[in-house]
Amino acid sequence: MLRLGCKRFLGFSNQRNQTLPQTLLRLYHERVVDHYNNPRNVGSFDKNDPTVGTGLVGAPACGDVMKLQIKVDEETGKIVDACFKTFGCGSAIASSSVATEWVKGKQMEEVLTIKNTEIAKHLSLPPVKLHCSMLAEDAIKAAVKDYEAKRAKLGANGEAAPVEKVADA
Amino acid sequence: MSNRKLWTSALCILHRRLYSSPRFSAGFHLNLESTSVFSCSPYHAGKSIVSGSCKGGFMANFKFSVRGFCSEPVVGSVDKCWNCGTLAMSKPFLACESCKSVQPVDPSIDYFQIFGLEKEYDVKVDNLESKYKDWQKKLHPDLVHSKSEKEREYAAEQSARVIDAYYTLSKPLSRATYMLKLEGVHVDEEKTISEPDFLAEIMEVREAVEEAEDSQALNQIQHQMQGKLESWFKSFANAFKNQEYEAAVTSIQRMTYYERVKEEILKKM
Repeated sequence: MLRLGCKRFLGFSNQRNQTLPQTLLRLYHERVVDHYNNPRNVGSFDKNDPTVGTGLVGAPACGDVMKLQIKVDEETGKIVDACFKTFGCGSAIASSSVATEWVKGKQMEEVLTIKNTEIAKHLSLPPVKLHCSMLAEDAIKAAVKDYEAKRAKLGANGEAAPVEKVADA
Repeated sequence: MSNRKLWTSALCILHRRLYSSPRFSAGFHLNLESTSVFSCSPYHAGKSIVSGSCKGGFMANFKFSVRGFCSEPVVGSVDKCWNCGTLAMSKPFLACESCKSVQPVDPSIDYFQIFGLEKEYDVKVDNLESKYKDWQKKLHPDLVHSKSEKEREYAAEQSARVIDAYYTLSKPLSRATYMLKLEGVHVDEEKTISEPDFLAEIMEVREAVEEAEDSQALNQIQHQMQGKLESWFKSFANAFKNQEYEAAVTSIQRMTYYERVKEEILKKM
């Protein structure tokens, strides 16, 4: 229903665009609409997979919830795949979609430097929607943090196991 | 008359000393030009004294218009109509009983006072609508279109305030946020939260709403959400009473999410 509304709105506004300057109309930027209509990387990875980091964040103001997952190559520390699932407004969905596109192929340390302002600029988000891009930035950080916490736990277990084996033997 | 003035000034000084912290300043309005001050007996008759609304033990000992003093400690002037000079007969003083003139907005009168309610979360909101309509019969701008510009302005502002008060108090979530605001506690809406268990639960519910095939399934989820909300309402009321403001803020954040799910369900139905 939202999609229809969005399309209709865009169809209507396209006519008016010829006569009125864009700044007078409060539209979704075409990139936001693009991400909404052609979502990239929507989906879920297995939360329990050791190579997956899951970031789950929420925005109390609007009750939005965003899940961003990364799949990391253990040896190189490079993010090989990412997916997201967001319940929220078009800007929140687009922000998380952009985030998944941007983290793919990058190192984990690198993606931590992705700033919400860059996402907001890319999507031409109005000031009232800036918190959506902040949510995406926090989701990336949460996913990386989750992955590293998992690794630390596994690492600790991994170190314990050989000691036990030696003790048994 | 002079006795009253003495009392007023004495209490004023004490009040200013004790209540200078920002926590209380939100609710208290030190405005020497304000025409609405409450002093003695005319205002206290019939109104129950909410000594709990003024934190600090000493105020509880003063049996006359404690709430009045806490909110409007003004020296000297009393509530009287700007038009005919008649003294105000009842609180809150939004319109003159004698000449019917609409009075200027006094921001220190909070929304609960406008509707004559105690500042508690569990207030009965059933007769809110009738009180709201009663006020609008006295304050609505349409009634003053032939009056002076000053009065038309007062009417526009007063009735807008009453409308705001009505909508804020009638919905549980906005009522809760407003109550915290009166205590000077601001609910930071910009900060993202990361409560994994709670958010995972919300994710699941939102997915269920998306996948729900008929209105029966939706109604079931709606019912569940209402149940959760009711328990968080109680949680807020308790936290507020015990002045546990962090817990109160958490309750509000939870409520926001459940209300959002309800909205999505309604959109889908």
